Amino acid sequence: MLEVADVSKRFGTLEVLRGVSLSVAPGEVVVVIGPSGSGKTTLLRCINLLEDYERGTVTVDGDPIGYRLDRRAGQRVRMSEREIAAARENVGMVFQSFNLFPHMNALQNVMAAPVRVKGIPRARAEARARELLTMVGLSDKVAEYPVRLSGGQQQRVAIARALAMDPKIMLFDEVTSALDPELVGEVLAAMQQLARAGMTMVVVTHEMSFARDIADRIVFMDDGLVVEQGKPDQLLFSPATDRVRAFLKRYNDRYRI
Amino acid sequence: MKEFAPLLHGYWYLLRGAGMTLLMAGAAILPATACGILLAMAQVFGNRFARSAVVGYLFIVRGIPLLVLLTFTYYLLPLTGIDLPPFWGVVLVMALYYAAFMSEVFRAGILSLPQGQWDAARSLGMTRRLMLQIVIFPQALRLASPPFVSLCANLVKATSLVSIVGLWELTMASREIVERTLAPFQIFLGAAAIYFCICYTLALYGRYLESRVLHGH
Amino acid sequence: MPFDLHFIARLIPALIEGAEVTVELAILTFAICLVWGLIVALANSTRGPLSWFAGAYVQIVRNTPLLIQMYIVYFGFSMAGFGLSGFASGLLALCIQNGGYVAEIYRGGLQAVSTRQYEAGRALGMRRWTLYTVVIIPQVVARIVPPMTNQAISITKDTSQVAAIAVMDMMKVAQVWVESSANTYDVFLGVAIIYLVLTSVASVAGKLFERRLAFAQ
Ligand SMILES: Nc1ncnc2c1ncn2[C@@H]1O[C@H](COP(=O)(O)OP(=O)(O)OP(=O)(O)O)[C@@H](O)[C@H]1O
Ligand SMILES: [Mg+2]
Repeated sequence: MLEVADVSKRFGTLEVLRGVSLSVAPGEVVVVIGPSGSGKTTLLRCINLLEDYERGTVTVDGDPIGYRLDRRAGQRVRMSEREIAAARENVGMVFQSFNLFPHMNALQNVMAAPVRVKGIPRARAEARARELLTMVGLSDKVAEYPVRLSGGQQQRVAIARALAMDPKIMLFDEVTSALDPELVGEVLAAMQQLARAGMTMVVVTHEMSFARDIADRIVFMDDGLVVEQGKPDQLLFSPATDRVRAFLKRYNDRYRI
Repeated sequence: MKEFAPLLHGYWYLLRGAGMTLLMAGAAILPATACGILLAMAQVFGNRFARSAVVGYLFIVRGIPLLVLLTFTYYLLPLTGIDLPPFWGVVLVMALYYAAFMSEVFRAGILSLPQGQWDAARSLGMTRRLMLQIVIFPQALRLASPPFVSLCANLVKATSLVSIVGLWELTMASREIVERTLAPFQIFLGAAAIYFCICYTLALYGRYLESRVLHGH
Repeated sequence: MPFDLHFIARLIPALIEGAEVTVELAILTFAICLVWGLIVALANSTRGPLSWFAGAYVQIVRNTPLLIQMYIVYFGFSMAGFGLSGFASGLLALCIQNGGYVAEIYRGGLQAVSTRQYEAGRALGMRRWTLYTVVIIPQVVARIVPPMTNQAISITKDTSQVAAIAVMDMMKVAQVWVESSANTYDVFLGVAIIYLVLTSVASVAGKLFERRLAFAQ
């Protein structure tokens, strides 16, 4: 489904990704963990080409996003903006800071892209948007503007907005980090439900117990590399590498009461 | 009260002058806004050549008094052989002059949107054009509207300069009445009051827009 | 005939003589406004009638054209019996108007420092004097330098309007030369370039000052 092949990315002289490869099967939920600054956010942004990267390719169902290999020249070529925009329709993304459009109400936020990007008839898009907002538990908030919604509600609108494009895969970048603790649960529940419905997901999170519940596989990143990956219980309870062990120890020390 | 008798005789003439002032300002604001938006777009999205062209234009306009440009348009237009009535000549100069300041206002509006808005729009598969149309511009224009309105008030005040190059509007009208009545204090005060009514209304409107921007919807 | 070297050789000294008046007016206006604007801003921040007067003053001078203010001072005052020279009238009007703008810059700078900064200072046990000199004023100064620089540029350009009340500043010199010769282009280029130099000096000085503050923090 998703193939990330040898992606490298630098900011100036700082190598943030150093040849990351990752493949995600249809319906699989992959959780990415790792210390702060390890490049998790950058990886997700590269998958969607919100950042350009120097080396490597990303494909969804075999279709490239961003760069395609020119076989004759043996080189990577950047796709046109139009092609990239079209490719992004297959990838939904939810951000740490929600990024709802403040001048549109919840319903308009969810409907805007299906209507304007995909050209879906307004009535159908609206019916679908209401369905999605109901699914994330916001059927009574469709007409509210983002400033009038709590963080948890805003994030659930953002999830509905991404789902409205019928993406093949969803990317979540620490979607609960900006939320008050009591609002985290409602967002995680929406993601659980989505995972159970068979959505393919890549989830970056610092919530280890949630990671364990939802993940089919956990990927540990450090210093721009995938250091270790495996089944949740195996990676969390009997990690093979010292780096994971050290990370988990720090994590447990911090959150033990 | 008797001192203000000259004003009573001249007020109709002054109001006609004010009408001309508004006409002139309105005629200049429309193209100034359009050019300002284009300049802002060129500066934010243009290639290096377009960007430096805009920067050069802003440098020149910000550094030369409007009065210099108006005066020399008045003298130069006939020399260049362009057959433009003086009214449209000054409207053109004012529009080009204020376009530079408007572009700064619109550029600030575009740039002050958080990166997340661009990210979200792009991740939904929007092309640049669509993204600008439904996500960026509606918000940027809203953010830019209060300073835009105070620029308009500024432009209204600046129209008084065209009286120096001999065009007839409120300031010229007041000078004509002063020549007949020899009551400069009263007449110019009257003209100032009219300008104040126009510009203060705009200022209040700008403040209202600003409070709306600050407090969200 | 553009670029007549003999003409330019006579033009430049005359323009520079005018430019001296321009610079003198600009510097005096800016210096006086720095003080006068602060007084108005402080008056505005008090409670009671003084604040009302300061507020009204700011609104009135900002919403009426400088040119009309000059006419009121120059023609109006002389009719009322206490005539001022053109230079003095121009300077007074420039200070009256720009004082309003400068006061608003001070006010904006003061407002931009959040109340939390005051609380933080008090929580550290600072007395009023220490609080202001160590915490508040440095932050206000850092914030007002860019708009003050813009105001200085704007004042430099505004001085050109004294030409309308017969002061021999650079603008007036240019007008005289244009009317008495056919070398419109030369005069225009000369005036434009000198104004650009003057405003650039103001802008660079502001930038340098800004940078020094940035290092100091
Ligand atoms: N736009 C940028 N310009 C320069 N450096 C950047 C930029 N974005 C990220 N970085 C750097 O890249 C590195 C990886 O950042 P990234 O945000 O991907 O980390 P992360 O794993 O998501 O961390 P966190 O858990 O704190 O979110 C960091 O060192 C960061 O400082
Ligand atoms: Mg991150």
